[in-house]
Amino acid sequence: MLKIDHLTKRYGSTVAVNDLDFDVTAGVVTGFLGPNGSGKSTTMRVVMGLDRPTSGRATVNGQTYDELKAPLREVGALLDAKSLDPNRSARNHLRALALANRISFARVDEVLEFVGVASVAHKKVGGFSLGMSQRLGIAGALLGDPGTLLFDEPVNGLDPEGIRWIRDFFRSLAKEGRTVFVSSHLMSEMAVSADQIIVIGRGKFITSGTVNQLTAGAAGTVLVRSADPSRLAHVLRDAHAIVEELSDQGLHVSGLDAVQVGDAAFRSGIAVHELTPQRASLEDVFMSLTADALEYGHKNAEAVSE
Amino acid sequence: MSDAPTLWDTTRSEFLKFRTVRATFIGLATLILLTIGLAVLITVVIRTNWNQRSPVERLAFDPVATSLVGVFFAQFAVGVMGARAITSEYASGAIRTTLAAVPRRVRLVISKAIVLLVTFFVVSEVVVVVAFSVGQAIYRGGHLPSGTLSNSTDLRAVVMAGVYLTMLTLVGLGLGLILRTTSVTISIYVTLLLIIPIIVNFLPSNWQSHVSKFLPSNLGQAMTSPSAFSPNSFSWTSATLVLALYTLAIVGVGTFLLTRRDA
Repeated sequence: MLKIDHLTKRYGSTVAVNDLDFDVTAGVVTGFLGPNGSGKSTTMRVVMGLDRPTSGRATVNGQTYDELKAPLREVGALLDAKSLDPNRSARNHLRALALANRISFARVDEVLEFVGVASVAHKKVGGFSLGMSQRLGIAGALLGDPGTLLFDEPVNGLDPEGIRWIRDFFRSLAKEGRTVFVSSHLMSEMAVSADQIIVIGRGKFITSGTVNQLTAGAAGTVLVRSADPSRLAHVLRDAHAIVEELSDQGLHVSGLDAVQVGDAAFRSGIAVHELTPQRASLEDVFMSLTADALEYGHKNAEAVSE
Repeated sequence: MSDAPTLWDTTRSEFLKFRTVRATFIGLATLILLTIGLAVLITVVIRTNWNQRSPVERLAFDPVATSLVGVFFAQFAVGVMGARAITSEYASGAIRTTLAAVPRRVRLVISKAIVLLVTFFVVSEVVVVVAFSVGQAIYRGGHLPSGTLSNSTDLRAVVMAGVYLTMLTLVGLGLGLILRTTSVTISIYVTLLLIIPIIVNFLPSNWQSHVSKFLPSNLGQAMTSPSAFSPNSFSWTSATLVLALYTLAIVGVGTFLLTRRDA
């Protein structure tokens, strides 16, 4: 159980995290979604006791990180896969962590085996690929069999097979009753891997909920193809729709549903070749939610098409 | 497995880290070869040229100090190794993994200090005893004046040379904690030991007599000299105490900064 309690972190005059306040519950995979630079990593670093909060706090099982007696047995984290001494072997790297937390060396070999690094455990980690380092980082996170796990952008550097493996792995960890907190700037990744999503932008909390809850409120759009797209576009605009003309005779319509678009075309005698309602993706929702919060202001697609 | 880890566990972890990188052994080999190799080189040269020395030069000859000349170079090897115990972690980012495993930062520094203290005390003492013994054997072979460990003054000079190197290892660690990058730490360390003494040399001589005895290098001289090394220097006990205070202060400031800073 992870609790972010009115957490604020400033670096000089930059506010990286601005009064974040939420709980991450056990038993589900919780996604931590936000654009790059929105404060996800900073939040995780505060949880892990690496950065001191300016105000507020982050607790695991009711204790701040530096209050935990044997931290790796309560919290496991993969923040940056390359945060290790390149000249030490994988096994010795994990053994040092194990000694400091009274974890047996047998457990070290167990996690090395589990992530598939056992065969190169005697090699210096400096020679590892990013994917291998990620796996070793996961081994380190699992070492103390902790109830709470944090992963910062874990799919970066993984191949498709690795990405599938890690999604299943997060689900199984959650199913075992653990708290699993995973950050990403990729909405599509969160949509498939997280049960619960917390969205932040510019260090501030924006919204939270399940994928369905987040997409339910957003209006969908309609894709329509016809024999005379330019005339249809004109007709639809007269009906107060926002229309984007696509290159392949298609129109992207918002403001009207599929029934209204079909009826309007019929009344004007324009043959319709395709009529597809499109549900708002998490990506659309994310873009509209974080548009104000983006550091770099660029207009969204609808504004451009008008 | 449910009991809480202690300082002992952290220290075992740090010792494992210390002995599982090749740089440790390269550093220790450098320390050993420099100190003993230079002792052999210098004492052989002195023995070969002994007949060309004037009686006054022969009278001023110090068989103990000349056999320990390698300590002058070894002090840089130990400083670099002490600094790297922490700066290499900052360079690689491993410091974040370390602090996640040991969030009690004061305990972490104590563990690192214990590992360095024990290792470098043992290695330094062995090295200076060997350098001294080899040097004296070379002098005896040429019928030159020589020292012996059964002489308490000579023994003290040799033992304190090892203590001096051990303390400088911790000075390196403390500077590394404060400065965090290897190159800057080594620059400052070399400045303290080599450059500042040169600058002090340019001061008016009545200032020099007050300032120079506080320089780490002169404290080392005072600690290892069988006799009072200059009228303005500290006694060996005071010199040891002053250097110990420097070491504590530098490691203390470094530890304080570590507890305040973001990793």
